[in-house]
Amino acid sequence: MTNVITCRTLDGQAVEFVDEVVGSGAMKEVHFAPDRSYVVAFYKAPQDNQAKERLQMITGKYRESIFNQVGGDYWRNLFCWPTAMLEHEGRLGLVAPTYPRHFFFEHGSRNSDMLGIKGKEKEGKWFAAANLRNRFVDPRELGDWLNHLKVCLLLARAVRRMHMAGLAHSDLSYKNVLVDPSQGLACVIDVDGLVVPGKYPPDVVGTPDFIAPEVVMTSHLAREDPNRRLPRRETDLHALAVLIYMYLLYRHPLRGGKVHDLQDEQRDEALSMGEKALFVEHPTDRSNRIKVASVKPTELPWANTERMPFSITGPYLADLFQRSFIAGLHDPSQRPSANEWETALVKTVDLIQPCLNPDCEQKWYVFDNTTTPCCPFCATPFQGKLPVLNLYSSRKQGEFRPDNHRLMVWTGQSLFLWHANNLIAPNEKLTEEQKRRVGYFVLHDGRWWLVNEALPDLMEVATRTRVPIGGKLELEDGQQILLARGDGGRLVVVQMVDA
Amino acid sequence: MSVRRLPVYILLDTSGSMRGEPIHSVNVGLQAMLSALRQDPYALESVHLSIITFDIEAREYLPLTPLDEVQIGEIQSPESGATFLGAALELLIQQVDRDIRKSTGDVKGDWRPLLFIMTDGSPSDLLAYRQAIPEIKRRNFGSIVACAAGHKAKQDALRELTDRVVTLDTMDAAAFSGFFKWVSASVSVGSSSAGLEHQVTLPPPPPEVQLVL
Repeated sequence: MTNVITCRTLDGQAVEFVDEVVGSGAMKEVHFAPDRSYVVAFYKAPQDNQAKERLQMITGKYRESIFNQVGGDYWRNLFCWPTAMLEHEGRLGLVAPTYPRHFFFEHGSRNSDMLGIKGKEKEGKWFAAANLRNRFVDPRELGDWLNHLKVCLLLARAVRRMHMAGLAHSDLSYKNVLVDPSQGLACVIDVDGLVVPGKYPPDVVGTPDFIAPEVVMTSHLAREDPNRRLPRRETDLHALAVLIYMYLLYRHPLRGGKVHDLQDEQRDEALSMGEKALFVEHPTDRSNRIKVASVKPTELPWANTERMPFSITGPYLADLFQRSFIAGLHDPSQRPSANEWETALVKTVDLIQPCLNPDCEQKWYVFDNTTTPCCPFCATPFQGKLPVLNLYSSRKQGEFRPDNHRLMVWTGQSLFLWHANNLIAPNEKLTEEQKRRVGYFVLHDGRWWLVNEALPDLMEVATRTRVPIGGKLELEDGQQILLARGDGGRLVVVQMVDA
Repeated sequence: MSVRRLPVYILLDTSGSMRGEPIHSVNVGLQAMLSALRQDPYALESVHLSIITFDIEAREYLPLTPLDEVQIGEIQSPESGATFLGAALELLIQQVDRDIRKSTGDVKGDWRPLLFIMTDGSPSDLLAYRQAIPEIKRRNFGSIVACAAGHKAKQDALRELTDRVVTLDTMDAAAFSGFFKWVSASVSVGSSSAGLEHQVTLPPPPPEVQLVL
């Protein structure tokens, strides 16, 4: 029988843990509670006063400022946030929620789990490298491309929330983010190392692949050197952009073919991630393109940037990738914020279209804004009538301006309140009422219909025909439809693509 | 993409004194290390493994092979026999010269190889051993760790090769599995969070292993 140890957290709650280490990382050793509903983790090395104070703030004030607000429960799924601090036999520890079940492999690897990873944590790397996806990970674990977009969306949202609170994670990587692409879920873990500018400096420079170029470039300098760059909000933004790129395109944005040092591979690595870092898809400087001839067959088609350019992620994300990896790569102030990533991801979800090929591995793709849409992943063309709704919103009575936001229509596509009103954003602030569908689209006998479920103002503008709740409206090219009146109320203009 | 290879060389003592429980424990430890490494996506992408065994001669037991293709059977140990570590180093030098890819203008070369040596005695071919050492040092290994297993192992000779010598007090399964766990953790360390100061890249040894410095 294993021993159960009972002790108290510093704020006086009783905790129990089993005296057996179930996991061990670089910094901490982890124990389960007897019922496994939470874990107790102890630092391996003694922590200084500043680290203790920081942990106190993380389990206390910072946690309360995120979780104890209206909508605070939303964040419980997006963060594994430590809830209390304790000391036991001279070691500092923390109490944290257990990772939800879906973040552990249900099927694991191919061929009856040949690698024996069933039940292990779904570390992001498995899903972010084409070779691992194609050769090892069980296809049931992989999820489709829409779920990868959702993973990225939740990740951007979690980072946005931390940054809003004035906190930086400092070590975002696929090790510190759990993902479940089979359901489109993500959770940020290891937040105990977070950085508060001017108050708590970082403990680490980050994890290789995700460290910002300015940090790599100056890592040889002493910690106190004024030119040394350490993790902060802007370096989180680099890591976030890399994560999103890798989860959508299954390759690293800076790991191309360019060799900077023939003799010393460590220096080559430092240059290609630091001073000489160059986007593999830079539009004019092609010197760091991935050399398709030298990649493994199982890295294709993803290693082929001509076949799978970043532009397949759609206009909103493509713009942010350019800003992150061209202008912002060596100029941290130009990196897109987590909020911008979140907004772009939300808008990209509206541009998505199901692939007509039932065997398409990715199942969904972003509308490419042409009259002959085609799935970039399996090359299956779209056939039939494809309505595209262009969204406009009202700034003042009777005047509608374009929102640079489109909604692709497919059978079963839903219309939500955030489509009908530009002042409502689909995020943690939505009330239960606002989460309900207000309409949907259906293709019936070759004609597209919008069915009104909860839009009291719905009206076809040209004929001033009102569509009552429960009624339906046929979509036609050039049609204008008013979704809602009042501030932020939306008007849509229908474009019909006939492919 | 075009992930660099991380070559890992393991030199295993199969001399007569390893016969019985020690060699059995080494086999168990080796298999456990392989499964642990295969569960690490970073290792699976980069690690290439080679095993050289040595007793009265040195043999390339496993040529440099990508981790996912590695299959190793039971390593045997003869009834008796010397510990030709020098010969093993000579074979290693040939292999490294043959296998390690240097960067070219077009292709990224390998990471510096890692070398792990496990022995329970001391080199019987001391002269050859000493002659091989400068050659080994010229091969620019990322790190060299020598493990002296049991009380008969001589640390002095090993320390001429590397200052990173660990000792295993016992030669049972627990001790060896601790050592191989440490090897796999050392291999995986490249994918973990890096500290602010440049430091030794190896994780702290498990409690069973003593680090001799």
